[in-house]
Amino acid sequence: MSAPLLEIDNLRTYFPVRGGVFLRARAQCKAVDGVSLAISPGETLGLVGESGCGKSTLAKSVVRLVKPTSGRILFEGTDLASLGTKRLKPFRRQIQMIFQDPADSLNSRLTVGSMLEEPFIIHGIGDEAARRERVLELLRIVGLQTSAVDRFPFEFSGGQRQRIGVARAIALNPKLVICDEPVSALDASIQSQVLNLLLELQERLNLSYLFIAHDLAVVKHVSDRIAIMYLGHVVESGDSDEVHHHPRHPYTRALISAIPQPVPRRQRYRQVLTGEVPSPINPPPGCPFQTRCPHVQPVCREQLPPLREVAGSGRDAHTVACHFDL
Amino acid sequence: MTSTATVSPRAGSEVLLDVQDLSVEFDTEAGLVRAVDGVSFAVRAGQTLGIVGESGCGKSVTALSILRLLPRPTGHIASGRILFRGQDLVTVPEQTIHEVRTGQIGMIFQEPMTALNPVHRIGKQLAEAFLLHQDVTPRTALERSIEVLEKVGIPSPEIRAGEYPHQLSGGMRQRVVIAMALACRPALVIADEPTTALDVTIQAQILELMKELQEETGMAIVLITHDLGVIAETCDDVLVMYAGRVAEQGSADDIFRRPAHPYTRGLLKSIPRLDYPRKTHLRTIEGMVPGLMDLPAGCRFNNRCHYRVDRCTAVAPALDVVAGGHGVRCHRWRDLPAWTEPVV
Repeated sequence: MSAPLLEIDNLRTYFPVRGGVFLRARAQCKAVDGVSLAISPGETLGLVGESGCGKSTLAKSVVRLVKPTSGRILFEGTDLASLGTKRLKPFRRQIQMIFQDPADSLNSRLTVGSMLEEPFIIHGIGDEAARRERVLELLRIVGLQTSAVDRFPFEFSGGQRQRIGVARAIALNPKLVICDEPVSALDASIQSQVLNLLLELQERLNLSYLFIAHDLAVVKHVSDRIAIMYLGHVVESGDSDEVHHHPRHPYTRALISAIPQPVPRRQRYRQVLTGEVPSPINPPPGCPFQTRCPHVQPVCREQLPPLREVAGSGRDAHTVACHFDL
Repeated sequence: MTSTATVSPRAGSEVLLDVQDLSVEFDTEAGLVRAVDGVSFAVRAGQTLGIVGESGCGKSVTALSILRLLPRPTGHIASGRILFRGQDLVTVPEQTIHEVRTGQIGMIFQEPMTALNPVHRIGKQLAEAFLLHQDVTPRTALERSIEVLEKVGIPSPEIRAGEYPHQLSGGMRQRVVIAMALACRPALVIADEPTTALDVTIQAQILELMKELQEETGMAIVLITHDLGVIAETCDDVLVMYAGRVAEQGSADDIFRRPAHPYTRGLLKSIPRLDYPRKTHLRTIEGMVPGLMDLPAGCRFNNRCHYRVDRCTAVAPALDVVAGGHGVRCHRWRDLPAWTEPVV
C-alpha cells in the first residue's frame, strides 16, 4: 500500500467562547476533538455527520482556514498544522476546496474568466495567453460552454455555478480536493450530474477527495471509505460498503435507519433516536453519544471509548468507538 | 392549455380539500409569470398528500395559495377553485379566510426560526392562537399552550413555554411550529418542507411525530418536499410537479412502483441509494428546468426528455388517465418501456 497523501493525527480545533466585559475566554467549544484520519492517493474518504459535529471545522483546519489547536496534519509527510503563511503557500496549490453554496463562494463582481484566472496570477503561473487558454480548457472539462468566460456568476443556475466552483478547485492541478457539502444546495436532477462530474474528474486527474456531507446515501455512493463524526469525534470508520452493511456504532445504525428511502410503505425496523446532540461547549465526559444512545451503560458516562479495530487492520480497518460489541 | 380529463379520486373518507384547475400568476418586472398552471388535486380526511418537485416547480406557491398567503400585491390566483369543506377559499371574504387559517387549516413552514417571533416567549406565541380562535382567558390559553407543547414531545413544557425561540434547538423549534399549527385542532395541516432544515435523525423524529398526531386526530396533511424518500415514507397520494404543472399524480404505489412520466422515472433513477454499487455513474436528467419566462412550447419537459417526438414540442399534453386515480401529462406514456425498479 502506498503512503497516505494526507494523514490527520489526533487533531483538535477548539474555539474560545468569549463573554463578560473584557470578552475573556470563558469556555472552549471543542469543534474537533482528537480526530485521526488518512486519505490515500486517488481515494475518496467520505465524512458524514449532522450539523455541529465538526465536519466543516475539520475541513477548514486541513486547508488552514482555521488554525488547529493541537495535532498534526501531514500532507505527503509535511506537517501543515505548524507551518507559517509563507511556507504554507506551495501547499495551498495542492489542497483545494469546493464549498456548499456556489452562490456565496463565488465572487459576484468577477466574470467567470477572471475568477478562474486568479489562482494562476496568485501563484505566478503562465503568461496571459496561456492562462486564458487554460481557463477555456477548465470550462470544457467541467462541462460548461466556453462563452461562460465573460459572464457573471448570477447568470448561471445553481448546478452550473457549482461547476464553476469545481473548475476553480481543479485549476491548479491539486492532489487533494475537499468537498464540503458540494451537492446539498442542488436539486435532485442536478445533484446526480455534479456527482458524476466529480467521479469523472477523480478518474481523469487522479484526485483524492475528502467528501463531506450530511447525506449518507450520497457520501456512500462516492466514497471508498467513510468516517462517521459525532460531536467532534470520529465514532466509526471503514470501507464504505462494510460500514453500510455492518454498522457497529449505535449512532451509525440510527443514521442509516433514519434515511428515508424512495420505497413506499417499506416495512422495516426504524430506530428513532430520542434526545438531541449536546453542545460541543462543555460536552459531557465519557462517550459523546451517551445522551441519545439506546444502550447506554454507566461506563459510557465516565470513559471516552477509544477507536478500536473490529475488522481488518491498518488503514483499511473497520474501527468503532464504542465500549461494547453490539 | 388546461387539463380536460380529471383523474377520479380514490375511494375512502370524505374529500376535505378539493383544488380544481388552480392557476397562480405573479407580476414581475419582466412581465406576468404563471407559476402554477392548471393544478387539480383532492385531499381526504386523515390522509397525506405529498407534492414533490424541484425548486421553482410551483409546489410552495400551490401551498401558499390554499391559505391565500401569496405575496401581495405581486401574486394572485388567476383562476381555479379551492374547495374546503364546500366553501371556495378563493372567493370567501378576508374575515372567513382569517378564521380558516390555524382555526381549520394549520401551516408548518420550512425554517422554524423565521416562522417564530424572536421577541416573544414561546408560550405567549402559542397562547395567541387560543385567544384568537377560542373564547378563553389568557391563563387558560397559556395552560393549553403547555398542553400542546407536551403533546409534541417537548420535555418540561412549563419551562420551555417561558423561553424564547433562540434558546431552543432546530428540532425543538420545529416541534413548537408544529404545536402552533396544531393548536386549534385543524382538520388540515399544510407542511412546506417541514424537515428540510433538520438533520436526518431529527427529521425521523419529526416525521414520526406527525404520523402519530395524524393517527390521533385524524387530520389530513399536505406535505411539500423535494425529497422523494420522505414522500415515499409518509404519503398516501403524490403530486409530481414540473415547471408549474402536474407531471404525474396518483397513489404512492402508482408513483414509485408504476411511474409513467419520463420526469418521474428520471428523478427516481437519479437519486443515489444506499444499495447502489459505489462510485458508479448515476443516471441523470440532462439539462435543467426551464425558467418560467422561457418555457418551451408543447410539453414543458420536452428539452430534457429522451422520448421526445415532434408532437411533444408542438402540443402541450393533457392529463391522461393511466388507471383510476393515476394521471400523467405525457403524450407518450404508453410507448415507454416497462418500469424496472432501479435497485441492484
